[in-house]
Amino acid sequence: MKWVSKDIETYLTAKEYVDTAVIPLYSVSFGNEMKHSASSAEFITLLTNYLERQFTGRIMLVPPYTYLKNDQYEDIIKGLKKWEENIEKNEFKHIFYITSEIEWKNFEDELDGSLIWLPSLPLEHLDESQKISMIESQVKQLLSLFTQIWHENL
Amino acid sequence: MSKHRVSRRQFLSYTLTGVGGFMAAGMLMPMVRFAIDPVLTAEAGGDFIATPLKIKDITTEPQRVDFTFEQKDAWYTSEVTNTAWVYRDEQDNIIALSPVCKHLGCTVGWATSKDHPDQFFCPCHFGRYTKDGTNVKGTPPIAPLDVYPLKEKDGLLYLGKAEPRTKEA
Repeated sequence: MKWVSKDIETYLTAKEYVDTAVIPLYSVSFGNEMKHSASSAEFITLLTNYLERQFTGRIMLVPPYTYLKNDQYEDIIKGLKKWEENIEKNEFKHIFYITSEIEWKNFEDELDGSLIWLPSLPLEHLDESQKISMIESQVKQLLSLFTQIWHENL
Repeated sequence: MSKHRVSRRQFLSYTLTGVGGFMAAGMLMPMVRFAIDPVLTAEAGGDFIATPLKIKDITTEPQRVDFTFEQKDAWYTSEVTNTAWVYRDEQDNIIALSPVCKHLGCTVGWATSKDHPDQFFCPCHFGRYTKDGTNVKGTPPIAPLDVYPLKEKDGLLYLGKAEPRTKEA
């Protein structure tokens, strides 16, 4: 399910089936790192959209949690914890965070949800079909990770 | 000079018939064109999209085929890739099924479940469909998979817009 009114309507009638929230984590920085920041956000967007397509009926793709890269990590985590509380309150059993920032690995234990870190791939020089096959191969690995976690918590 | 002289009366009636004929044709042609218009457009074939799959490569085993087309979303045009599962049935008819689960819209895969190697399987809530796309009773889906209308052109498979089926399991 995407964060659009039509999907949310379906979600409200089928709440018991959609038990997983996926939150992309976007870091934003300006100046020299602007391009890197944009290209990793682009990568995460494509990836999560494709993931949503595969698992439409079970995951809710929440709007990305966006933060400034040069902010204090304590503050960033604090903000995300608030999101987590709200999402858990609303009957999502599983939460997945998807990011391409390696720093998150250090804070993995503080989060209730599962953190998935993927190195960002430079997609700007690829044509459409290469892009798709690249994203597809990345998502394929995620698919088994998701099904595995769902199986563990049956 | 020819022997056959054309009288003034004859000349006038010939020219009038000729001009009148052209005028009548000018009026009737568009009318006829409008009248048979549905036949002409049906032949042009609506929105069929070419897939990279060759007709002769289609086997009895369902295979995945991706095809891309442009979609307009408000003012935003984007390339959309759709997927179909294509195979030949026992009567040698080509079947193209939509991979979108009729339960909540996940993508189903062929033979992705170890326990049911000859069925379509949805990983989200373990919905299953038989090879012809009929939903298996006792699993969440309530309708069979959508079917793509298809046609052959230059040896390639062309697919239209997926249509729901009414037949239930």
